[in-house]
Amino acid sequence: MALLQISEPGQSTAPHQHRLAVGIDLGTTNSLVASVRSGDVQTLPDEDGSHLLSSVVRYHEDGVEVGAVAAQHAITDPMNTIVSVKRFMGRGISDLRLLGNKLPYHFIDEDKAVPRIHTRGGDVSATEVSAEILKALKRRAVKTLGEEIQGAVITVPAYFDEAQRQATKDAATLAGLNVLRLLNEPTAAAVAYGLDSGQEGVIAVYDLGGGTFDISILRLNQGVFEVLATGGDSALGGDDFDHVIAEWILQQADYEADPEPQLVRLLMHASRNAKETLSEQTEADILIDADEIQWHGSLSRDQMDALIEPLIRKTLMSCRRALRDAEIGNQDIIEIVMVGGSTRVPHVRNKVGEFFECEPLVSIDPDRVVAIGAALQADVLVGNKTDEDMLLLDIIPLSLGIETMGGLSEKIIHRNTPIPVSRAQDFTTYKDGQTAMAVHVVQGERELVSDCRSLAHFELRGFPPQVAGAPRIRVTFQVDADGLLSVHAREENSGTEASVDVKPSYGLTDEEIESMLRASMDHAQEDMLARTLREEQVEAERVVEALDSAIKADAALLTDDERRLISETRDRLIAARVGDDPGLIKKAITELEAACEDFVARRMNTSIRKAMKGHSVDEYATED
Amino acid sequence: MTDALSTNYFKLFEIPVSYDVDLDQVQHRYRDLQKAVHPDKYANASSQERRISMQHTSLINQALHTLKHPVERAMYLLQLKDVVFTMDNETTMDAAFLMEQMEMREKLEAVREQNDPLAELDSMSADVKSNMNNMADEFKRAYASDDLDDAREAVRKLQFLNKAKNEIDELAASIEDEII
Repeated sequence: MALLQISEPGQSTAPHQHRLAVGIDLGTTNSLVASVRSGDVQTLPDEDGSHLLSSVVRYHEDGVEVGAVAAQHAITDPMNTIVSVKRFMGRGISDLRLLGNKLPYHFIDEDKAVPRIHTRGGDVSATEVSAEILKALKRRAVKTLGEEIQGAVITVPAYFDEAQRQATKDAATLAGLNVLRLLNEPTAAAVAYGLDSGQEGVIAVYDLGGGTFDISILRLNQGVFEVLATGGDSALGGDDFDHVIAEWILQQADYEADPEPQLVRLLMHASRNAKETLSEQTEADILIDADEIQWHGSLSRDQMDALIEPLIRKTLMSCRRALRDAEIGNQDIIEIVMVGGSTRVPHVRNKVGEFFECEPLVSIDPDRVVAIGAALQADVLVGNKTDEDMLLLDIIPLSLGIETMGGLSEKIIHRNTPIPVSRAQDFTTYKDGQTAMAVHVVQGERELVSDCRSLAHFELRGFPPQVAGAPRIRVTFQVDADGLLSVHAREENSGTEASVDVKPSYGLTDEEIESMLRASMDHAQEDMLARTLREEQVEAERVVEALDSAIKADAALLTDDERRLISETRDRLIAARVGDDPGLIKKAITELEAACEDFVARRMNTSIRKAMKGHSVDEYATED
Repeated sequence: MTDALSTNYFKLFEIPVSYDVDLDQVQHRYRDLQKAVHPDKYANASSQERRISMQHTSLINQALHTLKHPVERAMYLLQLKDVVFTMDNETTMDAAFLMEQMEMREKLEAVREQNDPLAELDSMSADVKSNMNNMADEFKRAYASDDLDDAREAVRKLQFLNKAKNEIDELAASIEDEII
């Protein structure tokens, strides 16, 4: 046991030290940060006591404003004030055009994959705008909690595709947050309601936010939240309610020209106020006083219900599909959780209740419920609740495949498959002597590649020429717990390999992120080196800490030789860690990991056997 | 010591190697296995442990899929007896069966002209399901008596039927969407 006595003076972390982690709901309209403090989960307010941070970023020549201050200028300074940026995440310029020509921004349509919005502070991508919101939340958390944040759980709509998830994770990287997990918003809401305690059965989460709609069907059992199916529309939300009301106003005012950006903002603002009024009252007074239009009128709740009815019907269509995918009937749903500000609209609640034949759950503020769930999960993941039984099992919302002959998509992983998942499929060549193959990765349910979202292109090159149909090219898809994909291709006869971490076609490249990080620092070169060194040191600490607790728990699984080897390589890592060469630390980590590979795998097997053993004991007990 | 990554799915879930599986039990064990290996349980571990955890979780998810799926499960049982389906192009030569399938396809293509296409699709779906059950029984019989050629033939037909069932369901879904 000599091994356990080695410790680094002043560096040891107490085993049960509380680590600070936050949950972040990065919403279309509003964003929130929440944290668990002394057992209590709370959303964190700003200095003025406001919990919601408007997801609005305003660019100046020399800086940015985020939140209510920025939102005040949405109407007067629309070109430099970015609202609802979540709708642009992971999107290409052509997608943005589809979102409607009512967007006031000046998009830069150059050859870069990611569209940029031109502002007076420079051209910015949706990822960078989101990073500003995350930074503001991070500042708020650090200020309120008074210490550094170890990690964050960031929520995304369950229906977000790969590109949108990757863009969200990139935004977190830019904001300097360590992402513990990207968590689906509906799952977070179910966690917040504590529906795992005492309940067993199938629930539905209906999440209608400002710009996205999600429906998830989950099975709850002894702390395990298992997502069975998910569906939705990543471009449908309360903003669309505002749109139809705004159009109605234009109609009523007999205005036929294309409204200018400023007028659009004004109309949207008025529509939104009317919508919110109609959640409480049956009649809303609307006054439009602009240069182009002077109009005064009123909108009744019944009128609004009729305007938004087609949109609600669209959401219920997604619900039907999700139920069928889960092989569940409406009557099997024991609880329906309502999430998102748009579920305050009475007509939405009524229609959803009717559809699922049960009274919707609305007791937690629908604006805060997601952040609260995310904070609870962050607290578990960061290691503050080691005895916690809670486990969230997610699925992939949209099928992943590759393009085959004729522009067809061959699905490799189907939607609603539990993740993480790894799946391989064999392909072959169609021409004699072919020595390369282009792999085009797509996401979506449609048969034609042109109807699916293009995620990435890469090539497997240099395998030996063979007759058509002879090569065996195995393409392996690996999706991690965050829903992010990596793809690997290998020609089996020759062993030629190629692989790619899927950086979506509409995503920022690693180099771009690196240079953005660099740009945000004062003495670029020095700081980057310092940052890399710090990162390697933190990873080294993590590795040593994990190893020590592994050995403490399972020393019996080690042979004497292994123990000696591990102890030696561990010493080398500790020596490297105090130095200032990140390369050396990285090398020492790799060596230690190599020495531990068998041990780690054996531990995993042991924990599997333990999990299964618990079973046989239980069963004997019940059978006897 | 058994290695989870190389053990067979039935052993991993500690259930008998058989076509008949208790799906509740599978689901229950799946949760227990996930509690032991899921990456969230290793959120603070080294990247090595996280990688190994992800491999194991992926395997358990793959195992769950195989054990639950009526066709995949049969194929997997054959694979355990070294009968490997190389590509999806294996096809049955049973003329009567193929004829039935063709008739079914024709009916499916014309279903939109029916008075009540959804009811028609429901009944077609029920027919295919019952055919699948019969074919699964045929597979079980052949497999149990180690008649692997017959078992393989049953799997080929199961693949056919399963594909037909998916097509019927998809058509029903798109007709429903149009109605809403």
